Amino acid sequence: MKFRGKIVDVACLNHFSRVVTTISKLTKMCVLRLTPDNLFFVLSGKVGNGGVSMWCELSQANFFDEYQMEGVSSEDNEICLEVTPENISRALKTVQNAKAVKVKLTKKHCPCLTVIAELPTLSSINRVVTHDVPVDVIPQRLWHEFKEPDMPDFDVSIYLPPLKTMKNVVDRMKNLSNFLVIEANLNGEMNLKIETDLVSVTTHFKDLGNPPWGDDASQDAGPSQSRDPDTMAEARVDIRRLQQFLMGQQVTPSRAMCNIVHQRVLHLILLHEDVSLQYFIPAVA
Amino acid sequence: MHCVVTGGNVKVLAKAIHSLSRIGDELYVEPQEDGLALRSVNSSRSAYACFLFAPLFFSRYSVPNRNNFRCKMAIKSVQAVFRSLASLEKTVEKCHIELDEQKNRLTFTLHCKHGLLKTHNLSFQDSESLQAVFDKDSCSNVFRAQPRLLVDTVMHFPPSLEEVTVSVSDERMWVRNHVEEEAEQSKAMLTELCLASDEFDHFAIQAHSSVTFCLKELRGLLVFAESTGLPVSIYFDEPGSPVVLSVTDSVLEGNFVLATLTDDPGLRKNSSRRGHTQPPPPPDDFMNDDMDSYLIAMDTSIVPGPSTAGPPTPPLAGSTCSKRPVATNHRTRIHSEEEEEGEEEGDSEKAEDSDRPPNKKFRSLFFGSVLPPSSQMNTQPVVSQEVLASDSEDDSQDE
Amino acid sequence: MPLSTQSQGDDEQYVLVACSDNARNLSNILKAISFKDHAIFTATPNGLRVTVEDSKCLQANAFIQADIFQEFTIREDSVTFQINLTVLLDCLNIFGGSALPGISTVLRMCYKGYGYPLTLFLEEGGVVTVCKINTQEPEEPVDFEFCSTNVTNKVILQSEGLKEAFSELDLTSEVLQITMSPSQPYFRLSTFGNSGNAHYDYSKDSDMMELFQCTKTQTNRYKMSLLKPSTKALALSCKVSVRTDNRGFLSLQYLVRNDDGQICFVEYYCCPDEDVEEE
Repeated sequence: MKFRGKIVDVACLNHFSRVVTTISKLTKMCVLRLTPDNLFFVLSGKVGNGGVSMWCELSQANFFDEYQMEGVSSEDNEICLEVTPENISRALKTVQNAKAVKVKLTKKHCPCLTVIAELPTLSSINRVVTHDVPVDVIPQRLWHEFKEPDMPDFDVSIYLPPLKTMKNVVDRMKNLSNFLVIEANLNGEMNLKIETDLVSVTTHFKDLGNPPWGDDASQDAGPSQSRDPDTMAEARVDIRRLQQFLMGQQVTPSRAMCNIVHQRVLHLILLHEDVSLQYFIPAVA
Repeated sequence: MHCVVTGGNVKVLAKAIHSLSRIGDELYVEPQEDGLALRSVNSSRSAYACFLFAPLFFSRYSVPNRNNFRCKMAIKSVQAVFRSLASLEKTVEKCHIELDEQKNRLTFTLHCKHGLLKTHNLSFQDSESLQAVFDKDSCSNVFRAQPRLLVDTVMHFPPSLEEVTVSVSDERMWVRNHVEEEAEQSKAMLTELCLASDEFDHFAIQAHSSVTFCLKELRGLLVFAESTGLPVSIYFDEPGSPVVLSVTDSVLEGNFVLATLTDDPGLRKNSSRRGHTQPPPPPDDFMNDDMDSYLIAMDTSIVPGPSTAGPPTPPLAGSTCSKRPVATNHRTRIHSEEEEEGEEEGDSEKAEDSDRPPNKKFRSLFFGSVLPPSSQMNTQPVVSQEVLASDSEDDSQDE
Repeated sequence: MPLSTQSQGDDEQYVLVACSDNARNLSNILKAISFKDHAIFTATPNGLRVTVEDSKCLQANAFIQADIFQEFTIREDSVTFQINLTVLLDCLNIFGGSALPGISTVLRMCYKGYGYPLTLFLEEGGVVTVCKINTQEPEEPVDFEFCSTNVTNKVILQSEGLKEAFSELDLTSEVLQITMSPSQPYFRLSTFGNSGNAHYDYSKDSDMMELFQCTKTQTNRYKMSLLKPSTKALALSCKVSVRTDNRGFLSLQYLVRNDDGQICFVEYYCCPDEDVEEE
């Protein structure tokens, strides 16, 4: 089991750092899966994380100038680690102006992802900073828990409004209530609603558009086709989970959408060039 | 005493008080013939700092002939005088400092823009002389660096980090975070920075040694050094004897004396692990980064996986990574769970409780109650060269 | 604009309708008095008066004239209700309350009358938010009987000059003492804290002093905890008028300029601290 990657391009380094920072805002611990082509940050929905799950996929070639890995075996050419994204984020943040950054799996006092950066100096010798981020190697028999989640059998899929706007609204609603109802229909309309003894607030978004899911969408025969376009599907969620998701966004994604399984789950998807992030928030009664 | 500070020096004085506040809760003020001394010490007496502002620093400096007055007061109240640090340069034209011994009052008068006059009358207590016993000139290792280099160095460490270890060889300096116990190491992120000697203005090594001291006070001094642009000199010997950080120019001198950890076995282990005394050049040893042993160990172990909430088994004492990878992994698992639960609490505790006495392994600096050589004053007990128990001594003199 | 056309037909049922093309013009000035949850709204054809009180010793009023609104329709001589100000501010700033030029939240505020909620329609960038905030039985505001004919001393300062003093106030002091005098120290703010006392003296000739009318030396103390909230008003204002009357009551009037350059007023009244004898 071996892994070593090198980032030279400063834009790539910056981008990678932002992705990891986004992840770190979403979860304290997660699983990092390394394959020959991709990196995945995975959180499987457990009660401990409020039932939230996450799947973030990066294409290594778009970040790393060099990338070598050797998995457990040639059939299972993968490495699966439990990491603290906050630590990796911090390590990457302090080396933003580095000439080159290497990330490798090392065996120190414990298994570590080691981030080594050469920092520019006025002297002839580079300043070198090494961050050893402890990780846990996840045994192969547990890998099945960290597979890509299935596309839920959603009732409505809709593009999200600008995340900044959504964040502002959700932040204020958070001051007023602990739960929020998100509802959307196939007419491109989405509402965010809260209701308390003191106040009720509804924010109406319209003309958002509904993504065309082809045959690969999970809904068999597509209930959406037979669905009344004005009927709302809704999910009541813990407002903190949604706020956390919106707060963590470091870049404006090129595509942002959400799928709602009526009263079951809110599935948020962000696509940005070579990175995709999926986030599942369970609905509460 | 009556002295006057003008122009940019007001900010220098304010910054000095600010950096002293990173050390202790009280400011010791002593007008001396050779200048105004401002000092502070932390509660466990493992850190001490002193600024001496020469008479030339002031546009007026007069001390009574009976030159043995000293006092102390809450440093917060002095900081409050210079609260708007950022705008100080723009708003304050002149600052008078007057000591009224009869009224037990230290008065700061700030003459500000727009004819605004701010007068702060601070009450104080008499105090003993505060002196740390140190001799930086006899230290075997001496360095001097621009503040920027040190600021860029400490920036790599999280604000919550308490101690750093500094190691030196003929050509290099390594700075890394100090991790308390071996158990903690398994989960703690380790950061090490390697600086070449030619990044320093001065780099003189006599002993390849390694010392561990608190980062908070170093950061405190850097606040001052960075704003004044003064280079920082670092003096140290071996573990257990203090490290001295100092800044000087023609009209002021600042010395921060910090206790270092006495030689502990953990440190040696660290040293060998990191190989800091003679580290190999960072090799591109991709194929050497072999993780197989961990994997094999885990797939054959009965260790509960990250998602299985199995009952924790007590960690096996004394096992080390290389010999017992199974046990090691098991142990880290337990720690990770604990960490997740306890982390938020721990963080806030650190932030709130930053003034708690540092680790007991730090030896208290040896302070003497040094009286002025030609002392005519008898109010202070003549018990010199003893570790101070100043607080109990002073209570009788409080109002 | 969708909002102005949206519910025109329903307008008859409202006793109060106020519209603004910048919700910040209302929210900013309300921030200046938001130190307690409950606020009393009194609307008259002249505009809105919003009152917040603390322990019958402090009263803050924000005045928003009718012409600050693009539309201000009132069907009764006076309409009064009480509302949770913190909730109202969160609603008014639902889109973030951005101060960027070219981005503003359009507001339409409607009230049907006693027992009905206050309804806000807010729109920014085509997104509409509807808020219904429950109203409560209004309490009768205290009359401080502060009358300009009884004013002993008065100074008008540029707010800039007082901001520094208020940001540096020693909060360990129970009181803020204000001295106004025709002779030195003219205008002095004093605190008496744990570690000593502090005096901030403003010369009557200072370029911050726009007006100085002191007839008699007066020293009064006011509870720090009561005066501290006025810092919010100070921060938003450009000028402040400080007045005391023959009973030692304090009036602070702040002139606040909004994004569109229009002027509003915020006023704080405070009782002197009774423990102190007048000097």
